[in-house]
Amino acid sequence: MSKVVDREAVRQAIEKLPLFSSSALQLLQVIADPDHELEDVVKIVKFDSALTMRVLKAVNSPVYGLVKEVTSIDRALSYLGERMVISIAVQENTGQLFSKPLEGYQSRQGDLWRHDLFSAIASREVARYAKGDFDLDLAFTGGLLHDIGKSIFASFWKEASQDALGQIEQGIVSDYLMAEQDLAGLDHTEVGYEMARHWQLPESLQAVILHHHHPAEAIECMQPLVYAVHVGDIVSMMAGCDTGSDSLKYHLDPGYEEFFNLSPTNLAEIVLNAEEEFSKAETSLKS
Amino acid sequence: MSETILGIGDYGAARHPGGVVKTFALGSCVAAILLDPRTNAVGMVHVALPDSSINEAKARQRPGYFADLGLVLLIQEMAKLGSPANGRGLVVKLVGGASIMDHNNTFNIGKRNVLALKKHLWAYGLGPLAEDVGGNHSRTVSVFVDTGKVIVNCPGRGQWEV
Ligand SMILES: [Fe+2]
Ligand SMILES: [Fe+2]
Repeated sequence: MSKVVDREAVRQAIEKLPLFSSSALQLLQVIADPDHELEDVVKIVKFDSALTMRVLKAVNSPVYGLVKEVTSIDRALSYLGERMVISIAVQENTGQLFSKPLEGYQSRQGDLWRHDLFSAIASREVARYAKGDFDLDLAFTGGLLHDIGKSIFASFWKEASQDALGQIEQGIVSDYLMAEQDLAGLDHTEVGYEMARHWQLPESLQAVILHHHHPAEAIECMQPLVYAVHVGDIVSMMAGCDTGSDSLKYHLDPGYEEFFNLSPTNLAEIVLNAEEEFSKAETSLKS
Repeated sequence: MSETILGIGDYGAARHPGGVVKTFALGSCVAAILLDPRTNAVGMVHVALPDSSINEAKARQRPGYFADLGLVLLIQEMAKLGSPANGRGLVVKLVGGASIMDHNNTFNIGKRNVLALKKHLWAYGLGPLAEDVGGNHSRTVSVFVDTGKVIVNCPGRGQWEV
């Protein structure tokens, strides 16, 4: 088929992406280590003056309503939590990737950032209902990056995407991911995975990006994390924080039940808490 | 033309010429839309969850979030624009309440929202004249004062009237 995307062109687009700064990469590596402490994060931020400035700006945003200006990074971090520092570092290092409109998905400018930020917060909320120990901020980070592949894939997907919804409706393919595979020859999770490898992101984050729509395919030790993001992503789409035409066109994998206690009431709480934190986070990150 | 944009948990009404009430990307949320054929007023509430009893603080802070409280508030809002306070004679339309594919009972929020709204409408002796609910797509909906039309938009699927 003529519409099939040129893999080589995608590979080249990924190769051209600027690398993450060493402090951002260190941050992601520290977050991915279950034994890390807040102090480790503070140390990294302190060595990066641009990051320090942005973190202080965020914590002093009017949405948090702090009476006294916060000027120390330690206090800023203990107030904001690691997750806001991660958001800032990721935002700084991905440039326009998150903010441009996704052509093939008919989404608007900024939708990918909003979807990923909401998914991050929701994934973390889901992780709070884990049956075992869980690293909440890693779930957040996974959610934040899970759909990064769309930023590169979208422009290649533009032409082929026209038939995607029709194919799903006619039952030719079972969901949007399969439509991408069928019509373009690759999908946004694969592209995201290649981007994560290019950036040398930690393996757990690579697994989230590659498997978030089919978490059962992740290796066993990664599954709790991947399922948290799988569910967080779905909550985000249910809340209307989506990236356009693919919204809700994916399957729920009930395998999450092995790792999380999610009753209808718990899920409603997740929606409420995520929405509340999201509106604050979104505003403070704009500052 | 003046647009009233409603976020999640917001409600609002309009009856001035050219007025539009609009909400984006409903997902599993449901827009309950009220139309008053006598005054031409239109109103909408963007409901996210069926029942306010799960979180009292949030219920006070953002009552429009919940089907039970949101509907009451919308009818009050319509009354401010001259509609009957008991809701009598209002035309009701429901839009939204989508779900993920293969959802289970837990993830069935969209359907529970629709059912909760119908139950509370029924208490007023009201029921939807038209509805565009369910499925696996997120809807954006606009209601126009001048024509009383309810127009649904969906990325990749175009737009239609409900
Ligand atoms: Fe995805
Ligand atoms: Fe997603």
